Amino acid sequence: MENIKEPRQRLSDEERIALVQNQKKMHQITLAMLTIAGVLVFFLLWQMGVSTGLLSSKYVASPLNIFNLFVVKLADPNPDGAVLGVNVLASLEVSLIGFFLAIIIGIPLGLFMGWYKGFDSFMRPIFEMVRPIPPVSWIPLTIVALGIGLKAKAFIVFFSAFVPCVINAYTGIKQTSPVLINVAKTCGASHFTIFWKIGIPSAMTMTFAGIRIALGNAWATLVAAEMLAASAGLGYMILMGRQFARPDIVLLGIVVIGAIGTLLTSILVMIENRMLGWKKL
Amino acid sequence: MEKIVIQQGIVLSESEKKEIRQNRIYKILPVVSIILLSALWLFASKEVLGFPSPAETWERFTQLLEKPIKALSLWGHIFVSLQRVFLALVLSWIIGISFGILLGWSEKCNALFGPVFTAFRAVPPLALIPLITIWFGTGEGPKVLLVFIGALMPVVVNTQAGMRNVNKLYLDVGTIFNATDRQKLFQIAIPSALDAIFAGVRTSASAAWMVVLAAEMLGAKAGVGFLIIRGMDSGDEALVLLSMICIGIVGAMLAVATQIAEGVLCPWTRKGSN
Repeated sequence: MENIKEPRQRLSDEERIALVQNQKKMHQITLAMLTIAGVLVFFLLWQMGVSTGLLSSKYVASPLNIFNLFVVKLADPNPDGAVLGVNVLASLEVSLIGFFLAIIIGIPLGLFMGWYKGFDSFMRPIFEMVRPIPPVSWIPLTIVALGIGLKAKAFIVFFSAFVPCVINAYTGIKQTSPVLINVAKTCGASHFTIFWKIGIPSAMTMTFAGIRIALGNAWATLVAAEMLAASAGLGYMILMGRQFARPDIVLLGIVVIGAIGTLLTSILVMIENRMLGWKKL
Repeated sequence: MEKIVIQQGIVLSESEKKEIRQNRIYKILPVVSIILLSALWLFASKEVLGFPSPAETWERFTQLLEKPIKALSLWGHIFVSLQRVFLALVLSWIIGISFGILLGWSEKCNALFGPVFTAFRAVPPLALIPLITIWFGTGEGPKVLLVFIGALMPVVVNTQAGMRNVNKLYLDVGTIFNATDRQKLFQIAIPSALDAIFAGVRTSASAAWMVVLAAEMLGAKAGVGFLIIRGMDSGDEALVLLSMICIGIVGAMLAVATQIAEGVLCPWTRKGSN
């Protein structure tokens, strides 16, 4: 008993705080170590599996190979006919056009539908009919109507990003606090003023969540669109990699797609934090 | 309507009359929009070359019921696709929910597997199609695997978020009542994360439906995705449109089914969601 009690009594407040902080720090260090270990083990297993011949190089390329190919592909247009930069730009162009169109059209549509009942009951049936059709299945009709150019692909991407924009803007503005609306009404604001000054700002959190989903969808659908109809772009590059039986090209394409997707998402999160900073007081 | 009849003896104020009039308009508007949409469809089929009219699509539908493509009628193709989706969905729910619980519950597991998983998640499942065909060919297994991957991500992410956001108060109450870690996990954390888990399940159903479609479009011998591509390759636009409609209907039915399942399994989460 003495042994246990004594050190406790000797701890002053500062020491106790230091002790807790120390424990927290240790915990964080352990977590960080685990993170690094997880990533390292993953890559090591991958690399070793390939270099020991456990995984045939016909099917998998090692991380080092992929990195080398990445450097080579920056300047070498083989085998799919475009250097990596051109492919990335082609993909970005298509997806961003579709994505921004979806934002420009989808969010106002969702906001208006959520606010004006008449507009809602007019648009709802059309929207509900269109919504469950996956964007990928628009591809054949789009090809017939618009060919296989930029317009067709941008349309498919637009479609995939459009639906979450509308739904989230709609839900967001429906959730506007009635207290705020009533306050505005009491102060004599018109229906449109309430919409503009209260409805839209309070719908922004949900809307941004929708934009994030839309971005993910746009980027995912782009790959499908490019696989079915394209002559450049990352999806096309992957497809060509398969046709030439080059797993390294396919894997490089996948890694680049993943990396750009992550990059775009983090840019969006930054924008969101800046624009919605006032909400997180 | 009955209400209005009953109220006839009562004098209605101006605003009440206006409201009744407005409500009537709101009821008519959906009909108007559907009529407009049909008119647009008819117009498109006349003006745009190769765009099938409603009648042609219907005809194609009856024809497909009698004359099967690749020995399967329309129902057969839908059934094949649904089979793939269900197999993959069940697998992804079992594995995804357990993995998500693991990641959400144990910080250490999250630190260990989280980064690799996040990196993996950043890749759209459709981009994996070529890789999986290189590895496993184009049989039934690879398709189910693809759908499985597509459905796994939302389940894991939502489950993890749900476990993370368990109200700390509940866990503290558990601690006060001397609950073991196991009890806290199974009796407090998982039940309170159920609505998040179900959100993941709902997302996974629609994601799976989309992935199966894409997988079938890129190489299959049966299924609705195959039908669409068949229609496109043979210039049979009515078939394309018909498959699109079927895909839409089945997708909507899947969404409704998961919603009903949610209502049955955890009724407390139902709060006027759309």
